[in-house]
Amino acid sequence: MSNIQKQKPLLEVVDLKQHFPIESGFIIKRQVGAVRAVDGISFTVNEGETLGIVGESGCGKSTTVRSIAQLYKPTSGSVIFDGIDLVNAPKEQMLDARKNIQMIFQDPYASLDPRMTVRSIIGEPLEIYRKRGMLDPSIDKEVIEKRVEELMERVGLNRAFKNRYPHEFSGGQRQRIGIARALALNPKIILADEPVSALDVSIQSQILNLLHDLQKEFGLTYVFIAHDLAVIEYISTRVAVMYLGKIMELSRSADLYKNPLHPYTKALLSAAPIPDPEIERKRKRIILTGDVPSPNKERFGCYFYDRCPHRMEKCKTNIPPMKRIDENHEVACWLYE
Amino acid sequence: MKPFSKKKSLETTNEFNQVIVGNSLTKDAWRRLKKNKMAVLSVIIVSIYILLAALAPILPIYPYDEIILDHQHLKPSFTKSSGELLLEKRMADLFTQAWRQGRLELTPEEDDMLWAWIDKSEANKVWEYMFQRGSEMVEAGAYTFSSAEQRNLDNLAKKLKTDLQITVNRVWHTVEETGEKENVEKLPVDQIVALYAHMIGSTVEIEQEQYMREIAQQRLKIIQTQNAEMSAEDHQLLLATEMDTMSEREKDRLVKENVMAKIKTRAKEIANTDLKAAAGDESATFPLNKEIAIQDTLSADIKATKMHDRRYYLGTDHQGRDMLSRIIYGGQVSIAIGFIGTITSVFIGIILGSLAGYLGGKVDYFIMRVVDIMYGLPYMLLVIIAMAIFGRNILNLFFALAIISWLTISRMVRGQIMSLKNQEFIEAARSMGAPTWRIIFRHLVPNSLSVIIVFSTLRIPSFIMTESFLSFLGLGVQAPYASWGSLVGDAVGGMTLYPWKLFFPAATMTIFLFAMNFLGDGLRDAFDPQSKNQL
Repeated sequence: MSNIQKQKPLLEVVDLKQHFPIESGFIIKRQVGAVRAVDGISFTVNEGETLGIVGESGCGKSTTVRSIAQLYKPTSGSVIFDGIDLVNAPKEQMLDARKNIQMIFQDPYASLDPRMTVRSIIGEPLEIYRKRGMLDPSIDKEVIEKRVEELMERVGLNRAFKNRYPHEFSGGQRQRIGIARALALNPKIILADEPVSALDVSIQSQILNLLHDLQKEFGLTYVFIAHDLAVIEYISTRVAVMYLGKIMELSRSADLYKNPLHPYTKALLSAAPIPDPEIERKRKRIILTGDVPSPNKERFGCYFYDRCPHRMEKCKTNIPPMKRIDENHEVACWLYE
Repeated sequence: MKPFSKKKSLETTNEFNQVIVGNSLTKDAWRRLKKNKMAVLSVIIVSIYILLAALAPILPIYPYDEIILDHQHLKPSFTKSSGELLLEKRMADLFTQAWRQGRLELTPEEDDMLWAWIDKSEANKVWEYMFQRGSEMVEAGAYTFSSAEQRNLDNLAKKLKTDLQITVNRVWHTVEETGEKENVEKLPVDQIVALYAHMIGSTVEIEQEQYMREIAQQRLKIIQTQNAEMSAEDHQLLLATEMDTMSEREKDRLVKENVMAKIKTRAKEIANTDLKAAAGDESATFPLNKEIAIQDTLSADIKATKMHDRRYYLGTDHQGRDMLSRIIYGGQVSIAIGFIGTITSVFIGIILGSLAGYLGGKVDYFIMRVVDIMYGLPYMLLVIIAMAIFGRNILNLFFALAIISWLTISRMVRGQIMSLKNQEFIEAARSMGAPTWRIIFRHLVPNSLSVIIVFSTLRIPSFIMTESFLSFLGLGVQAPYASWGSLVGDAVGGMTLYPWKLFFPAATMTIFLFAMNFLGDGLRDAFDPQSKNQL
């Protein structure tokens, strides 16, 4: 426990906001509102750990990692990696730093260019950075070729399949290609956007084990998104629970599952079935009423107010700050004041 | 192992030493296309067309722009030479004339039939029938030519026998002292002029002066046509400045051209009179290659062929030009316009469409409004205006078609790219730090290429149609060049009398367009494995 604390944070996200403008009007566009996909979240990721992010669909998990990867320009806030604020850094510096941040995508069918061979897919990040002149000049085509083979072997693909195209592989194999591509530049941190949710269960475990092994071998840091709580529990060191673009609870994985504090976390955990019919029949499930409200409007109270079973007068008008309950457990709820 | 693998170093083998080859989507599509019989047939037809058009200069066909006025409107024939056809025509004429004068008597039914044809102005049928009947009657002795008619026919037959076509290949000058022969064309100008002056028995000075005058006349004509709006004094002024600024070399070149042309004409005349007799009494066989003496030291290599031995498999047009070679050369122009127009418009369309689609926002808005506005303008009118402004030649035609026809392609590419750009593999590329051009040209364009290929294949026929339409209106290709459209356009006038002039170019074009369309359909099915009508 304490050794985690000692480690320096590798990635720091400070009050990150990602609003997508809603425009209307003919010819002259006027912003009439914004989808507040991510609405001010802060967290740190330490070196060598895995931060899991859970939450229901549309809560801004994917947007968060895409903002970290600078696929979207964040509305405000900063993403500090290695002492460099990626949001405001000049482009060259940002690209140089982002070499160490790579992504694995959800859909192994859509995330590989169908017209490229495995060789060029895995070698592409190297090729791009070589062309930009941001790699060691000793790296030439042959070195890249070697590296591609090495990576393929490492993620469990036969190197003879280098000339094949993505459509000739199964889902699990494709996800391995995606992982090899993410590893190509030797990144420090990998943002995994639901990397296993499109795979069937047996393949899921293979991929999770592969990710786990790679972490041990290369000392990788993961930011791991999933909506499957069991997957998160298995892979994460710490877990952040998101709802409507806000972090509700952030805690060590074991603590969260043992002792959830936030009403939303409780509801979320109780929604996961327990693979034992005896317990499953007896246990009382927390059922939330209503739907997830629209993220379009600005909120001044707790984001979970509309659906919270324990809502109070205070919650309506005051946004709860992240409160540290103990060393490794933070929660944003007025119940724990 | 295949004998032709792309690169040995890129080949991969598995642990059993088998070569592993990827199956790209394009390869897949090609395989599916090969199963489509119509598409394969179309590919073959299109390749034959392209081959013929490309090889036109070395094919054994008559020059497409050679005018032989005697051979106007000869009908297509595989068995008869042009001379025989001409004779037939003349005889048919004579028979018809005789019939109308009552000297050649037919049954009343036949008379009615012929009059009905004449009323419907189906002259071809009348001639054909009259020739057939007349020949029968001559054979049977029921009709004999009058002496005038017989003379007419004899004259024609003699003319057909002795008319020669002579081309002068080279003019030689024999140096008296050594007996060596020199190619006159390679001699310096002064010497050529001296030779010519000697040939016609005048002095060099007179000739020089005369040539300068002739050149000035020619220049003046060009100036007058180019600057029609100016007055005569202005023309003279322009001419004076041009003649002053003309370099010695240029002058020499013009003089040389002029003199050479005269010498060659002289050589032709001499050869003609020489060989005519030989052709008449059949003492020489044609085609004939011979060196003839012009005068004193001058001699020329000539090639003589009997003009009326030519065979026109697809007939001739109103100026006696061979339709077959005109259709082949016309195909050259038409196919080139189809391909070059498509390539340019696809090129412009891809660049603008992908920029609009990928960058979005203001760029997209601006480009698409330009496209919308250009769409609003009548397409044909724009092309016609462009042709009128820039002048009517083939290059301008390419240009005019290309600047207008990228609109649809750019819209289509934009749509494709907009649907692709939110795919995860594009996000992946961006997360790898790929620059915009790389994303567009390495990921987006190759992935929309199948649609682009299909579309451009279907686009080629429409280009050919547009070009034909313009040529038909007289705005496209100018004589002596031909295109399928201009051939059809020229033929429409005499459609009933000379149907072959219309039929052959039209059929050629139709077959090509058919093949192109089938190929496009085949490609579409091949590139889209989910399509319903796959084979």
